[in-house]
Amino acid sequence: MLGIDSFPTSIKQIQLFCLVPTAQKLALMFLLAAVTYGATGIGAMLLMTLLANTHLGKDGAGKHGISIAESSRLGGVAIAIIVIVYIAGLSLMSPYTSGPERDDTFLYLWCAVLFCCLLGLAEDVKPDFLTPMLRLGAKFAVLGALFWLSPALIPLTIGVPAVDFLLNLPVLGWVLVTVFAVGFINALNMADGANGLVPGIALASFAVFFMEYGRPMDGALMFACSIFFIFNVISGWYFLGDTGSYGLGAILLGYGLLGVADGHFSAGFMAALFCYPCVDFMVSVIRRFRAGRSPFSADNGHLHNRLHQLIRLRVRSSVMANSFTGLIISGSTSGAVLFIYVVGLLPPDSDLWYIAFVVEFLIYLATLKYLTSIQPKTQYADVG
Amino acid sequence: MRVILSFIAAIGLIWVGVLESASSSVEDFKRYSDAHVLNHGHGSMQRVLAVGLVGDLVVSKIISDGRDTVIIDGNEEFSLPSPIFSGNPRGPK
Repeated sequence: MLGIDSFPTSIKQIQLFCLVPTAQKLALMFLLAAVTYGATGIGAMLLMTLLANTHLGKDGAGKHGISIAESSRLGGVAIAIIVIVYIAGLSLMSPYTSGPERDDTFLYLWCAVLFCCLLGLAEDVKPDFLTPMLRLGAKFAVLGALFWLSPALIPLTIGVPAVDFLLNLPVLGWVLVTVFAVGFINALNMADGANGLVPGIALASFAVFFMEYGRPMDGALMFACSIFFIFNVISGWYFLGDTGSYGLGAILLGYGLLGVADGHFSAGFMAALFCYPCVDFMVSVIRRFRAGRSPFSADNGHLHNRLHQLIRLRVRSSVMANSFTGLIISGSTSGAVLFIYVVGLLPPDSDLWYIAFVVEFLIYLATLKYLTSIQPKTQYADVG
Repeated sequence: MRVILSFIAAIGLIWVGVLESASSSVEDFKRYSDAHVLNHGHGSMQRVLAVGLVGDLVVSKIISDGRDTVIIDGNEEFSLPSPIFSGNPRGPK
């Protein structure tokens, strides 16, 4: 058991460990990949290492969220390649029939996911290739078409009578879900600012979907996100990019809505699982509106920016400060929901999950208020 | 050239997991259809080396859930195994 006197020594040891050079980081990443996913994990890690070292999709130092190191934005591309190889191989060599082959809803959903990935890829390869308005319009068009063609994705009840009434009105329900869907994908993209934050949320979510349904696609996505999570948290050289955040956002959105519409999950469960991106998006929009700026202008007043500023004072390694920020947020929100789900404290279809969401929301507000009081300005230059 | 070889090696290693998952599910399907014996079958050294400790659990769940779907939902998620790959005697000759 640790005595009080041993704490400073332990912190120093952690800090020394955080300053390990590149070769040791690589060794640790490959070791973790090998232990968790064997030869397949080593292959996936090797693919990510190679893609991270290509010139395509490179971000300069300080361009991505709170990162100050040069990094690659092709994390989403790496996840896509791994999932495609796995699912294509399984379809060819086993009795498995993938969702899009057997069900129109999945076919339309995966077409929308593919389109969102391509939209993000264009931005990752050539920044500002598409104007923000064009991207927003394209997302509205694709997701609107998805829900028009697959009304089964629209939940008819979420446990809030007024919203349930609106969702049951044919056109209004479609409009509401489309607006929510576009907002959700943008929220996930906006939250992708710290190592392990969005990858952690995605990993916890795919673990829940996989444990609930056992679909090979969920297993493949969980595998790819696990390897990316290890890479992202330890090295900090790699980000999801727009390909990853748009693509994962569309998949999580589709699976989440389908789970709620089928009655396997309550809307409260999904709200608790995806609390951080949704709440941070809403609070950021309100904060900018109150400051007289465009609600969609970029800035660095997010909770993860402020938490990182606090942690950075205590941890010498900038990568580890970044990773601790992401791990604390994803672990205390989606990670906590995964834990409660795994130990079976609450069934996933219970409306009591709304309480968990409210608790997360209050903790978010209290933490943001405290950090804002001790840090009137962030160390990052606000944009716009 | 070295980069291309590394990419091929990476995809090849991922393919090891694909092969292990595919062969495990086909073998399980055959075993069940032949003997109706439920065998979770995870933990073999070959599979742990191919897909790791977490991957072993994932493959086991994919197989067991796929088998349950075949039995309960009338072959909705898993069609019959490929006769070429599995040597299924019920396949076309």
